[in-house]
Amino acid sequence: MVYIGPLEIPGRLIYDFLHIFILPGFGAILVLVILIIWAERKIAGLVQLRYGPLHVSRRIGGALQLVADLIRYSLQEFIVPENVDKIAYLMAPALALLFAVIPIAFMPTAPGIAPPIYVEPNLLLILAVISLAPIFVIVTGVASDNKFAFIGSLREAFLMISYEIPFIISILSTAFIYGTLDLYKIVEAQSKAFLGVLLNPFAALVAYIAILRITGRFPFEISEAESELVMGPYTEYSGLMYGVAMGIGYIKLYVYTLLFSIVFLGGWLPISSTGNIVFDYILGNIILLIKASILMLIAVFLRSVYPRYRIDQAVRLGWSLILILSGAAVAWSLIIRLIIWR
Amino acid sequence: MEVDRGSSNDFLSNLSQELFMIRETGVREEGERLIELQIGPAHPGSGHMRILAWVDGDIVVRCDPDIGFVHRTIEKLSENRAYIKTIPLVERPSLLDTTPMTIGYVNAVEKLMGIEAPPRAKYLRTILAEITRIASHFYGIGILAIFLGHSTGFMWAFGDREVMIELATMLTGARITYAYVIPGGVRRDMPQNFPDQVEKGLRYIERRLKDWEKLFLNNPVVERRLRDIGVLKPVMARRLGITGPNLRASGVDYDVRMAEPYEAYDEIDFMIPVAEEGDAYARGLVRFKEIEQSISIIRQAIKKIPDGDIISPQISRLFNPLMKKIYAETRRVKFPSLLATLKPPKGEAMARVEAGRGEALFHIISDGSTNPYRFRFVTPSFRNVILFKYLIPGHRLADIPAIYGSIDYFPPEADR
Repeated sequence: MVYIGPLEIPGRLIYDFLHIFILPGFGAILVLVILIIWAERKIAGLVQLRYGPLHVSRRIGGALQLVADLIRYSLQEFIVPENVDKIAYLMAPALALLFAVIPIAFMPTAPGIAPPIYVEPNLLLILAVISLAPIFVIVTGVASDNKFAFIGSLREAFLMISYEIPFIISILSTAFIYGTLDLYKIVEAQSKAFLGVLLNPFAALVAYIAILRITGRFPFEISEAESELVMGPYTEYSGLMYGVAMGIGYIKLYVYTLLFSIVFLGGWLPISSTGNIVFDYILGNIILLIKASILMLIAVFLRSVYPRYRIDQAVRLGWSLILILSGAAVAWSLIIRLIIWR
Repeated sequence: MEVDRGSSNDFLSNLSQELFMIRETGVREEGERLIELQIGPAHPGSGHMRILAWVDGDIVVRCDPDIGFVHRTIEKLSENRAYIKTIPLVERPSLLDTTPMTIGYVNAVEKLMGIEAPPRAKYLRTILAEITRIASHFYGIGILAIFLGHSTGFMWAFGDREVMIELATMLTGARITYAYVIPGGVRRDMPQNFPDQVEKGLRYIERRLKDWEKLFLNNPVVERRLRDIGVLKPVMARRLGITGPNLRASGVDYDVRMAEPYEAYDEIDFMIPVAEEGDAYARGLVRFKEIEQSISIIRQAIKKIPDGDIISPQISRLFNPLMKKIYAETRRVKFPSLLATLKPPKGEAMARVEAGRGEALFHIISDGSTNPYRFRFVTPSFRNVILFKYLIPGHRLADIPAIYGSIDYFPPEADR
């Protein structure tokens, strides 16, 4: 294992900068989110016998449509309604965004290179940080002083609890097999045996369904249901803040699928550390991003297949089948760990 | 006519209590717990109306449809217009379902005047009415789909509806407001290649119905959202005067096309799809089955259509030589100027038609002048809007769009 230690300056600093601002960090987030939303619209267009985005940048199939949308959002008047709790109203989406991206700093994304903040149980830390984000969604709804926003945030709270617990259980159940809470060692363990998705398919299934819910993809796009709640917790937002609110779901999707790819799809495997840090950094990240992108594409494709569940159906599903499956995932992990793979 | 208001109110309140008992919402009294939600008139899930819903937790305990936002005084306007100028007016309330409306109005005027359309015109009217019925049902299904969050269903429905609109355009020259039906006949004959194009369009729709079954009707999430939601029992449906596919989805076999055949329906062999469940899913399913029946009706009508005039001789004898020449060459009817100052004899006439959303009733009172003395126009949506009040309480907030979509309620049609 060739970690770049915390003290190896200047290589360490350059790498930290690249990690946070370029490859798995903000630069990649911006590009991938734009591409994923574009792909979502194009896939939906394909299924629905229409074009999808076309006229902005016609030659590349309207891929810059989202850039145009972002420009429009940021130039639009940003109206703060009179009766809102202003501080909470303005801070909540920003904090939700922040807590959605922080986990990237803990994630090892390339062979032989430690993440910017490297602590031993980084899986636990990531789970702790990403489970903070829904609190701000709830604050958003309550601060908005709008009945639809309030109902939307209540829905979010119900759904979060019923899906985050199975998610955390299923992710942690894989730690039984690997015997570690360090994502880097989890990938190494997968390189010695099978990928996580083959070692524990139950956990992978539960985690993926929970990701669909946590990031608000169909058929679980329930807290923002347009025909019922206008825009759910974000009903009162306009302009740039609306753009941010809309983007949070996709950024969360990115971060969660990164975590899923590391835990279940072997992260940067099949390559391993070659000793050439530049080569490792670029190739490792790209392989990881490709895996995450495929997962994201499947998630956004479901929009063209399913309508949304009713809230009680989704909550019941979370507390029954999904929770039972996550229990099965724990049992399966124990069986593998204690009997098959001692 | 005297209406005993007291007893009808008692009837309604008894009915609502009955409903509460059936659903066992557990909440009977309003209080601090309830949130009053005003869904609409500016809400993505409301349409041109307002739904007042009182919500206890997630359960709707009371629901009031508030209509009238797009009222256009069609009945009053028609009192100041010549008879034929009201034909485009009756199309306006239900823009998705225009032909049955004009057929109903024109039938009433024809009864007043004592004329009858020739057989070919009757068949053409039937064909166009069924084409618009398919288009109207696709619209309703599309709205149901998008209310459930199913964007593919929405886009597919509008795309497939377009095929029917193209066929209607070929026949009439207009996309939506055809004003094709005129007293004594129709405006145009069908073009030479029309039967082939219709066959092509119908085959496409048949192919698509299989896709619809796979993606929408058999979609597990759609089934879970619609099954056992908004159950309308046959007794209730009869007592509330519900009409159209909503009535037939509750197991009541009633269709004006069967009960009181008009145009060419008595010469065509078709059946009325009926479902027993009475839930939202059955209402959606009945619409799909009706599309299949409409396809069969159009095929038969195209096959059986007789040759001959498309306008009654009582009208065509008013033609001047130029009009006669145009009619002979292009088979297009130009209005004789006498028709604009048409004066039907004194009297009353009533006509009923089965529009896409249900039975529409037209009642004209003539005092012998150029304008109707009174024109009464009852649309199916107006009769179905009461379902909001009786189907929604006891269900969850998320069921409001599901039930709204399933009854295919169209606010402008109810407001008139």
